[in-house]
Amino acid sequence: MSSEYEPKVLMFTCNWCSYAAADLAGTSRMKTPHNIRIVRVMCSGRVDPQFIMEAFAQGADGVIVSGCHPGDCHYMEGNYKALRRMLLLRKLLEQLGIEPERLRLEWISASEARKFVEITTDTVEKLRKLGPLKPRLDYVRKIMEEVVK
Amino acid sequence: MRDKDVRIGVYICHCGTNIAGIVDVEEVARYASSIPGVVVARHYTFMCSETGQNMIKDDIKNLKLNGVVVAACSPALHEVTFKNAVKEAGLNPYLFEMVNIREHCSWTHTDRRLATEKAKDLVRMAIAKVKELEPLEEVKAEVVNSVLVVGSGVAGLSAALTLARAGLTVYIIDKRPVLGGFVTRLVNIAPIGIRGREFVKPMIDELVEMPNVKVLTNAEVISVEGGVGNFKVRIRQRPTYISDLCTLCGYCEKACPIEVPNEYEGKLTMRKAIYLPFKEAYPPKYVIDENACTKCGKCIDACPVKAIDLSVKERYIDLNVGAIIIAVGHEPYEPDKGEFGYGLTRRVITSLQLERLLDEEGPTGGRFIIDGKVPKTIVFISCVGSLIGNKTTNACSRRCCSTITYDTLKILSKNPDSHIYILYRDIRTYGFEEELYWKALENGVVFVKFEEPPKVEVMGDKIMVYVREATINKNIVIPADLVVLFVGMTPSNAGEIVRIFKLSRTADGFIREAHLKLRPAETPTEGIFLAGAAAGPKGVMESVIHGAAAASKALALLLNKKYILREPLVAKVDEELCSGCLICVGMCPFNAISVKYVGERRVATVNPLLCMGCGTCAAACPSGAMEHNGFKDKQILAQVRAFAGVVV
Ligand code: FES
Repeated sequence: MSSEYEPKVLMFTCNWCSYAAADLAGTSRMKTPHNIRIVRVMCSGRVDPQFIMEAFAQGADGVIVSGCHPGDCHYMEGNYKALRRMLLLRKLLEQLGIEPERLRLEWISASEARKFVEITTDTVEKLRKLGPLKPRLDYVRKIMEEVVK
Repeated sequence: MRDKDVRIGVYICHCGTNIAGIVDVEEVARYASSIPGVVVARHYTFMCSETGQNMIKDDIKNLKLNGVVVAACSPALHEVTFKNAVKEAGLNPYLFEMVNIREHCSWTHTDRRLATEKAKDLVRMAIAKVKELEPLEEVKAEVVNSVLVVGSGVAGLSAALTLARAGLTVYIIDKRPVLGGFVTRLVNIAPIGIRGREFVKPMIDELVEMPNVKVLTNAEVISVEGGVGNFKVRIRQRPTYISDLCTLCGYCEKACPIEVPNEYEGKLTMRKAIYLPFKEAYPPKYVIDENACTKCGKCIDACPVKAIDLSVKERYIDLNVGAIIIAVGHEPYEPDKGEFGYGLTRRVITSLQLERLLDEEGPTGGRFIIDGKVPKTIVFISCVGSLIGNKTTNACSRRCCSTITYDTLKILSKNPDSHIYILYRDIRTYGFEEELYWKALENGVVFVKFEEPPKVEVMGDKIMVYVREATINKNIVIPADLVVLFVGMTPSNAGEIVRIFKLSRTADGFIREAHLKLRPAETPTEGIFLAGAAAGPKGVMESVIHGAAAASKALALLLNKKYILREPLVAKVDEELCSGCLICVGMCPFNAISVKYVGERRVATVNPLLCMGCGTCAAACPSGAMEHNGFKDKQILAQVRAFAGVVV
């Protein structure tokens, strides 16, 4: 693993809590790792496992899905659905030879800018240690194609 | 791609130096213009300014743009601004996407190169999404011209009055048996020094006389469905047991054998299980404390007009309202036993108990005595539970400083030779209330500034207060006859309210406003407004203003309207693709999906008025038939692909 390796992380945040937490981190001028790219969805329950598979297939080293705390979802239970899907998906990732730690599900409320910083920093550090996902890419793509079919 | 001929305009905002100071905006614009489909990419000092917006509008018209990307601040701030600009230029506003390169980029990074790279990635991802966006039309929703106000403190009353005067139907509910809220426990509303109960009385009197107002006490919201313009609210009303026949004769109270501390008198005195909270109370009748009452029935026998019926059960009421104003107020901080000596002696009291001791109609008839004696040396400790103490909210409670100074003046007017010390961290008698501070100083009140919270020691009859004066940096010991803890405001049952109304909370636990400065009195949920101390500590005057503000926002939404337009970012079924498995039906938390038949075929169908737009059905649909407008699979997938650099 070379010291220049910088993991690329895609993060899905719900509009109501985690996206706002990232906003607050910025407003409070907290420093976050520059490796994170956020895709905003309305609720963590919107995150379709295929988005995550696609992210890995496209070369993401890690994916974070982040929503409101259990019980706080703007749509009541979207985050519980996300939880179920992500648990299942992590099993599948393992089958595909992708370390399940590369997919993280977190609850970050709108006021938890600090937690946002901690989670993103920690993710990047862990991924640095894990190294790039690259070698398995073709394999994933092949399976993806089969799944899509 | 939605169209072979995509024509996208990309606009990068400098936000003064907020963005341009870190992100190389020129580079981002140059990069954007190299992406296929982008016909123009510009950067400008303030994209949200009139000139900036006109830039976009002109391009839309002159260059026939059919997609717009603005990279600027958080969409929470200016998405609406740009959407409107796009719309005014004649382009469907749902062909617009906003990129956050301020909060999520320039403000959180320091490395110019890396921040610029990130901005480029985010812009590329947005362009990819815009290529897949489709024009959408807003959904027309019928409007119910009535409003529910939850909570009847000054904020709720002010909101309800504003709405009712404008002619809307108003339901005002309170979980307590009487209207008026917290203020009814105060004797001094500083700086005017009016009794709380007298302050709310004219408001309540006017309100309850109006034919378009309905009051429910002992009532709480238990569930909410629907959305802006048409909420379906279920309310549980606990029985009051006593009918309007009550003449306030008081025989029942005499007959009642149960005694409990009287919360309306700061628990300084006892009351019966059947009681009148205070003489100005509305509704004007006795109430029964369910938790204390043993249903022995003695009161029934005592009542000369047969107003009491203990067999009454709780009831459920379903309301249909166009908007909701949440004004549930706050709870005063209750110090732990032993915290600053509280609970160890009757001579360490809270500011609320002090209020009752100063009230002519309080337990001492307004004589300022404790345990039968006039306290000579009185120490006030401010900010307990807000800035100091075992559990703090870290939020200044705003009303205390002026109340403290007012109270000391009141005490001095009753007992001129009292020695009064105010131990404070900060004194914030702002605005007109500054005068009270000077008056207290002139009248010999000693202000002691601390950094480390003071210590209170109770030794038998004596109370010793130890504090380090921060300006002279010396330890001081004050032997006190009475210690008054000025308690701060804590959130009132906010967790429950947040759960029921699906709102969020601030770090201090209060209910979050949509935006402190730009959207006060609003919540992020359309049609639900927020008033008073529920949104964070406020003084009485501020709560009255906030209530009126929430009401006027509700009025702007509902008054003289038959329908409103709702965001079309809802779920939609592609009936061709739908296999009728109905997995989505079970997924939907709002019962917005039902079954319909296309010829013989069973398919799912979404009611766009009930759909709240979470998109979880779309994530679950195995055949890709359920789509989430504005967040369709292909739109998000395009974003994900562009993350790695691929833009199709
Ligand atoms: S809205 Fe945040 S997880 Fe559902």
